[in-house]
Amino acid sequence: MSGTAVRSRSGRRAGRDGFAHVLHAEWTKLRTVRGWVAGIVAAGLMVVLFALLTGVSSDQKGAPPVPVGPGGEPVADSFYFVHRPLTGNGSITVSVAALDSSVPRGPGDLRPGTVPWAKAGLVIKESTRQGSPYAAIMATGGHGVRMQDGYVNDHAGPAGRVSAGSPRWLRLDRSGDTVTGYASTDGTRWIGVGTAQVRGLGSTVQGGLFVASPPVVQGGGTATSVSTAAFGDLRTRGGWAGGDWTGGQVGARSPTFAGYPENVSGSFTGAGAASAGSGAAFTVTGAGDMAPAVRDSLPTGGVLRDILAGTFAALIAVVVVGARFITEEYRRKMIRLTLAASPRRSRVLVAKALVLWAATFVAGSVGTALAIPLGERLARGHGVYVFPVSSSTELRVALGTAALLATAAVLALAVGAVLRHGAGAVTAVVVAMVLPYVLIAVPFTPAGLSKGVAAVTPGAAFAVQQTLVPYAQVAANYTPYYGYFPLPPWAGFAVLAGYAVAGLAVAAVLIDRRDA
Amino acid sequence: MSTPGIVVAGLRKRYGGTLALDGLSFTVRPGVVTGLVGPNGAGKSTAMRVILGLDAVDEGTALIGGTPYRSLRRPLSHVGSLLDAAALHPARSGRGHLLWLAHAQGLAARRVDQVIEQVGLAPAARRKAGGYSLGMRQRLGIAAALLGDPPIIMLDEPFNGMDPDGIVWMRGFLRSSAAQGRAVLVSSHLMGEMQDTADHLVVVGRGRAIADAGMADLLSAASRNRVAVRTTAAAHAARVLAHAGASVAASGRDTLAVSGLAAERIVALLTRSAVPFSEVSAHRATLEDVYLELTGGAAEFRAAPPAEVSR
Amino acid sequence: MRRALHAEWTKMRTVAGPLWLMLGAVAATVALGAGAASVAHCTAGGCGGDTTKLALMGVYLGQAPVAVLAVLSISGEYGTGMIRTSLAAVPRRATVLAAKALTLTGVVAAGGAFAVLGSVLAGRLILPGAGDRALSLSHGPTLRAVVGTVLYLVLIGLLSLGAATAVRDSAAGIGVVLGLLYVLPIVSRTVGDPHWQRLLQKTAPMSAGLAVQATTDLGSLPLSPWAGLGVTAGWAAAALLTGGLLLRVRDA
Repeated sequence: MSGTAVRSRSGRRAGRDGFAHVLHAEWTKLRTVRGWVAGIVAAGLMVVLFALLTGVSSDQKGAPPVPVGPGGEPVADSFYFVHRPLTGNGSITVSVAALDSSVPRGPGDLRPGTVPWAKAGLVIKESTRQGSPYAAIMATGGHGVRMQDGYVNDHAGPAGRVSAGSPRWLRLDRSGDTVTGYASTDGTRWIGVGTAQVRGLGSTVQGGLFVASPPVVQGGGTATSVSTAAFGDLRTRGGWAGGDWTGGQVGARSPTFAGYPENVSGSFTGAGAASAGSGAAFTVTGAGDMAPAVRDSLPTGGVLRDILAGTFAALIAVVVVGARFITEEYRRKMIRLTLAASPRRSRVLVAKALVLWAATFVAGSVGTALAIPLGERLARGHGVYVFPVSSSTELRVALGTAALLATAAVLALAVGAVLRHGAGAVTAVVVAMVLPYVLIAVPFTPAGLSKGVAAVTPGAAFAVQQTLVPYAQVAANYTPYYGYFPLPPWAGFAVLAGYAVAGLAVAAVLIDRRDA
Repeated sequence: MSTPGIVVAGLRKRYGGTLALDGLSFTVRPGVVTGLVGPNGAGKSTAMRVILGLDAVDEGTALIGGTPYRSLRRPLSHVGSLLDAAALHPARSGRGHLLWLAHAQGLAARRVDQVIEQVGLAPAARRKAGGYSLGMRQRLGIAAALLGDPPIIMLDEPFNGMDPDGIVWMRGFLRSSAAQGRAVLVSSHLMGEMQDTADHLVVVGRGRAIADAGMADLLSAASRNRVAVRTTAAAHAARVLAHAGASVAASGRDTLAVSGLAAERIVALLTRSAVPFSEVSAHRATLEDVYLELTGGAAEFRAAPPAEVSR
Repeated sequence: MRRALHAEWTKMRTVAGPLWLMLGAVAATVALGAGAASVAHCTAGGCGGDTTKLALMGVYLGQAPVAVLAVLSISGEYGTGMIRTSLAAVPRRATVLAAKALTLTGVVAAGGAFAVLGSVLAGRLILPGAGDRALSLSHGPTLRAVVGTVLYLVLIGLLSLGAATAVRDSAAGIGVVLGLLYVLPIVSRTVGDPHWQRLLQKTAPMSAGLAVQATTDLGSLPLSPWAGLGVTAGWAAAALLTGGLLLRVRDA
C-alpha cells in the first residue's frame, strides 16, 4: 500500500481551496445532466401537485362547524347537561355514588364495559354553546377525581373509582371569573383540587350536572360508549335561579361527537327537582366529551401531513437522482476520471452529498412553501377543517420536509456508493422509508409493529410533519396511522440523518479502500 | 525540483489468484513518447491506474515528479490522462463534461473552450456526449487530458477503434506533445502504431518489464544476425542451415528467418548443398518481430519453451 | 420462441443475482410475516383482524426484490448494452419480451410459492391458537389467499418488467414501480372524499391485488378478491403492452 497511499504535506495544504473546487465540479456535474435536474424539480412540483389534489378532492361544505375552544384549538364539547342559570357568585355540591359505562359488542349488543375517561360531575359554563369557556370537577371511570377547564387543563384529585359504598362529593365555587373545585370522600372534609381562572364567563352562566362518555379505543379504531351516573345531595348556594333543572345534550350534532351507541340516548331522571338546597337526587345518562379534539374524535379534520402526501412521491424522485448521481459514475467508469481529477476520495463523496443535499433542499423548500398555504386554502375552501398550527410549527413542517427529502437523497447516494448499483440503492432506500408507512396504513397492522417501524427505520423522519399532540386526558389511538409519531419531530429526523451520516462514513471508507 | 516525468518502481499487485503486476519498473521522461506495449492482460492498464492512484498496489511506488498522485494538489495540471473514452455520462454535453473537470481544478470555463477548439470539437461541444462517435469521444478525452496543460500526458490504447484520419491526428498530437517537452506515456497492443510514434519502448509481459530501451536500439538489436531466405525447398534449407549452427524459423510458406549466420555464409552453404533459393536478404526488423522475439511467441523451432505466452 | 425462452432461462440461471434476489424475496416475506404475527395481540377470538392477511403480510416487503429482479432482467441489458446482442440473436422483439416474461413468471412463481407457504407455516407455528382454521390450506378462502398471493407476486414481476422495458434505466425503472406500488395507497388514504378514496383503492395495483388475501369480512372490501387480482393483472398487461410497443418502435 506504499506509494499511492502516502499523502504528502502539499496535499494537506490544499485545504479549503481544494474542497471548493471539488464542490464546484460536483455542482457542475449535477446541473449538466438534464434528467437529474428534472428529477429534483419534479420532486418539488409533486409536493405542490399532491397538495392541490388533496385540497380539491375532499368536499365537506355544509358540515356542521367544528367547535373551537378559547385557545383556538378544535375541541370536543358534547355531553349531557342538567343545568340552571347562575347569576353572580355561587356554589354547587353533589355526591356521585355510581358511574357505569356500556360499550357495544356488536350492533345493538350493549355490554357493561370500562371507559377510563367517562366523566360525571359538576360544570360551570359560559353557555350551552359549544366551545364556550367552562370549569368542571368530575369523577371518572378510571382516573379518579379531576378538575378540568379550558378543554386542555387537567388537575388530579382523589384517586379511586366511585361506588355506592365509596361515593365522592364534589363542589364548585364561583367567584367572578375564578372557579375553585373541591372533592371529599365523606361530604364533610373537603380538599381543594384546583382553581381555574375562566376568562369570559360573563355574569350569568349555566351550571349543573353533566355526564360525558368518550369513545373507547378498540383494536385499531374506536367504539362509542354511554355512561350513567347516580347523583345525590345536590345543593346550590348563591345566585342560582329557581325553577326546574333543564336537561339536554350539548353539541348533539358536531363533527367532534361520535354519537350514542345504537338505540341509546341521553336522559335524566330525578327526584325532588324542585328547589335549591333540597338535596335532590338525579340519574343522568350521557355520551360525548369535554376535551381537546384529537384525530380520533375529529376524523374529518385535515392535517399538514395529508396536504404534504406528495412527499412520498417526491421522495422516490430524489432517491432515484441521489442513487444515480454516484452509481452512473461507476457504471460508466467515469469514477476513475473523477478520482483522477480529485484524488482525495472522501472529499468527492462529501462534495457530492453537500451539492445534492442543497439542491434537493432548495427544491423541497420551494415545494412545501407553495404547497402548504395552497393546500390549506383549497381544503378550507372546500369546507374542510384543518387542525390549526402555529406559524413556527408550519415552518418546521415546511423546512423539515425539505430536509427530509434532501437527507433521503444523500442516504441514497451513500447506499449507491456502497452498493455501486442504482436499482439496489433505490430499492433499499425506498423500502426503508416508504414501506413503513404502507404497513402503518394497513388497518390490521399490529400497533407495536407500526410504532416500531416508525421509530427505528429511516422513515422515522416523517415525524417532522407531525402537527398533532397527544393529550393524557384523552384516550385515543395515538399511532402513526393517525398522525401521532413515537418520536418528537426532530428526533425522528435525526434517525434519518444518523443513517445518512453512517452510510456516508461506510461509503467513504470503502471508496478509499476499493480500487476505482 | 525532483525528477520530472513518471517513475514507476517495483509495482506488485495481486487480484485474487492472479498476479497482475510483478515488480514492474520503468521511467517516463520529458520530451519523449514512451510506448507501453504488451499483450492484453499484461498489466498495462493496471499500471496506468496505479500511476493515477486509482488502484492500490501491494508493493512499490509510482511517483509523478517525485510525488504520489494522490497527494497532488491540482492533479490535472501535473498529469493529463485518458483511460477510457467511453467513460462519460451520455446525457451530459461534451462541454459540460469538460466543465466539471475544469471546476475540479479551479480552472475557468475559458480554458474549456480553448481545449475544445484545440481538439476540433467546437461544432459538437454542446451536444449530448451519448451521441458522439468513437473518434469524437477520443477527442473529448484528449481535450480532458489537456485541460490542466500538464507536463505529462498518459493515454491508454488511444488508437483503439480509430479511423485512419484519427490515427494520423493522434500520432501528430503525441509527437508534438513530446516536441513541446511533455512526457508522454502511451499504451498499445498494436505494435505497428508504436513503431511510428514512440521514441522509447517498455515491453510488458506478465506484469514485468521485459524490455526497456530506445526504439532504435531495440530494432537494431532484434534485426542483428537475422536473414530472410526465400526458397522452394524450405525443409532442406532449414536442415542445412541448422546443421551449420543457425537457428531457423519458418516465417512464411517458402520463407525462412535465419539467425546466427551472416548472409554471405548462408549463400555459400546453400549453394554448396545445391539448395535452390530465390532470395537471401538481411532482415530489417519490425516492432512485431522485436515483440515476438522478446516474448518468444515465434519460437516454433526453438528447443526452449516459450518464456512468455500472450493471453 | 422455444429457443428464445431457452436463451432467457440460460441468462437468468448463469448469473448469481436472480437467485439471491429470489432468496431475498422469500426471506423478506417470511421474516416480516413472522414478525407481524409475533407482535400481534391475539386472543381466542382472533388477532383483531384477518389472521391469513396478517401471516401473509410479508409480501408487502417481499414484492420489492421481485420487482428488482424483474426490472434488472431488462434494464440490466440496457445498462451493459447487451440488449443489442439479445435483439441481434432474436430479432423479433415481441418474442424477446415474451420469453423474458415467461421465464420471469416461472422463477417468481417458484420463489413466491416458497415465500407464501413459508409464511403460512411460520404463522401456524407462531399463532397456534388462531392457526387451526384460518391458516389451514383445506380452508377454501385460505387456499385462495395463498394461491392468489403467489399469482400476485408473478403479476408484480410482470408489471415491473413492462415498466422497466418502457423506462430502460434500472434505477428510474424501480423508482416508477415502487412508486406505483407503495405511494398510491399512501396517497389514497389522504384523499378526503370517500368516493375518490375508494376508487383509488380499487385501482391501485397493490391495494387492489392484495384483496385476494382477505378471508374474513369480504363484504366490506371495495373489490372482491379475484376482481382485485384482476385489476393488478390489468396493470401488468398494460405495462407489458406499453413496454412491448416501445421496444418495437425504439432503436435498441
